[in-house]
Amino acid sequence: MSDKYALELVGIRRCYGSVVAVDDVSLAIERGEFVTLLGPSGSGKTSTLRLIGGFENLDSGSININGKRVDHLPAYSRDTTTIFQSGALFPHKTVAENVAYGLRMRGASKSETEKRIKEALQIVRLAGYEDRYPNQLSGGQKQRVALARSMAVRPAILLFDEPLSALDLSLRLQLRAEIKRLHQELGFSAIYVTHDQSEAMAMSSRVAVMKQGKIEQIDTPSNIYNLPANEFVYTFIGENCSIPLRVSGGQAFDLSGTTLNLSLSSSLPDGEWRICVRPSRLRLTCRDGAENRLVAKLQFVEFLGDVHRYHLKSGAVELFVDQPGEVRANPGDTIEVGWSNADMRAYR
Amino acid sequence: MNIAGPDAAATYEAARRRARLREKLAPWLLVSPALAITLFFFAVPIVYMARMSFNEKIDQRFYVPGFTFDHYSSLLTDSAFSNAIWTTAKLSFGVSIATTLIGYAFALLVWMKPRRWRFMFIALALCPMLISEISIIFGWWVFFPRNGLLSYVLTTMGLLSDKVGLLYTEYAAFVGLVYLILPFSFFILLSLFDGIDKKLLEASSDLGASPIVTFYEVLLPLTKGGIAASFAQSFIWAIGTYATPSALGPDTLWTIGYLIQEQMLSRHNWPKAAAFSMVLAAGVGVVMMMIRSVSAKRTPING
Repeated sequence: MSDKYALELVGIRRCYGSVVAVDDVSLAIERGEFVTLLGPSGSGKTSTLRLIGGFENLDSGSININGKRVDHLPAYSRDTTTIFQSGALFPHKTVAENVAYGLRMRGASKSETEKRIKEALQIVRLAGYEDRYPNQLSGGQKQRVALARSMAVRPAILLFDEPLSALDLSLRLQLRAEIKRLHQELGFSAIYVTHDQSEAMAMSSRVAVMKQGKIEQIDTPSNIYNLPANEFVYTFIGENCSIPLRVSGGQAFDLSGTTLNLSLSSSLPDGEWRICVRPSRLRLTCRDGAENRLVAKLQFVEFLGDVHRYHLKSGAVELFVDQPGEVRANPGDTIEVGWSNADMRAYR
Repeated sequence: MNIAGPDAAATYEAARRRARLREKLAPWLLVSPALAITLFFFAVPIVYMARMSFNEKIDQRFYVPGFTFDHYSSLLTDSAFSNAIWTTAKLSFGVSIATTLIGYAFALLVWMKPRRWRFMFIALALCPMLISEISIIFGWWVFFPRNGLLSYVLTTMGLLSDKVGLLYTEYAAFVGLVYLILPFSFFILLSLFDGIDKKLLEASSDLGASPIVTFYEVLLPLTKGGIAASFAQSFIWAIGTYATPSALGPDTLWTIGYLIQEQMLSRHNWPKAAAFSMVLAAGVGVVMMMIRSVSAKRTPING
């Protein structure tokens, strides 16, 4: 039990009936770290956050905040604050009263409270909104107030429960950058729960990818992206093309049994495989010697702004390639797709 | 095809004017069925009753058309009437407080419980509304007397050494009214709770407020309006219901409802009954306005 960590989870577990929502999760977050729990719905990320916040009780394991064990304490005695998805601002209180709430509960003096309200609202760029009621604010402003309310008490750790998922895209991007800026300026410790991988990548010091109540991998965003621990992490993070195939006697077939015109630099053992490559790392080659190649037929081309997305088919295998520049082929053409060994992963 | 031209422009303008008129009339058309029902079944009878209260009562006939203030002036001197006002007000006030308190606790419980319990609780609350007031009264007649269920249970459990008969007491009238009105309070309050984001409770707790502080800081302010609404409707019900208190209460429990019934059915004095009713309606109106003015400090959440 070191107090170098803002938060330490040791083998925490929580079941709902026969469903194991959080399965033996251990995690240590250093002061000033911004860790994201990323996973599909039902992966246990929100349950984990609720256990930390004290809204659910542990079945086993322990939770330490700043080196002190807290899992026996109710939510109102824990030094954490949550930014909820809905904001959960008190509708009958003004912005200033909302921000003051946590300070009042902690018995802060009047002058201190006023100072902190001003500070917190300045930080989230809502100075001058003190006397508004929540229903006079836009969705983005509400989340800023929620952020100010949670930060004003300066908790040991801030808990973000998908705070941006109810907002529209442009607002989401804007607030995402703002939270990142705040983290850089203020250096708070935080856990951020999201199912949006780009949010996780953009904001975090470290990302923990969760599946069925377990952490599959925890690492920096770039390592998660470039060195995924397993197929689940690989396919969950970023776009990818998966080529399912069967190798038999050094020859590759698709799953319906048609021979694939595929050449790999190092051949795979017999069996069923899935070869995964990011669409941005696939190249439409002109036989210029990529390490691995697949011959496929062009179905159609989508224009995506910076790139064209070429949808290809070879036997039962469908994949797409993102390529900048002019369209170089017509639907129905047979073309070759190439990729390097470093960009390829094979899972069985 | 060229449709421009002075004629076309005029037709266009006329069509647009018609559309604007339709837009203005639409809300009235939509509300008119409800408005018609309210006017026909509510406003017209009230006006008719007001007129009736000024008719004369001379002989055996129910009323004689005329115009007199006698019925109203007799109310001022009639001690039975002023006693009835006091009795009714006391009873209704107590009943309203009780139904609102119990209804609040029950609605809070249903709101907090997981959704799968909800249907059961709501079915339970609907039960009394499915049975007629008269049947419920018969039920109480079995429940309250000396040899009734309540007395039997209390004595066999050893809580009482002697049988107790509570039928024909003010207590029985009170319980009967509360039972009758409680479901309405419950549904009013439940609908209000359903409009509150449960995350607010978590947010409050998250920021360091204990459950009791959360109740006073968050839940109570957000349900103030519903408490007033529940109290108001309970009060109206309690004042207007006459069968339950007169069937369960003592003979001396003369509520206004009872007096009106007596004038109407036993003494065949329609104008006097109408005058009683007008005073009752006016009294309820005053109480409603008082409740409104207390709870009318509208914050932007409900305004």
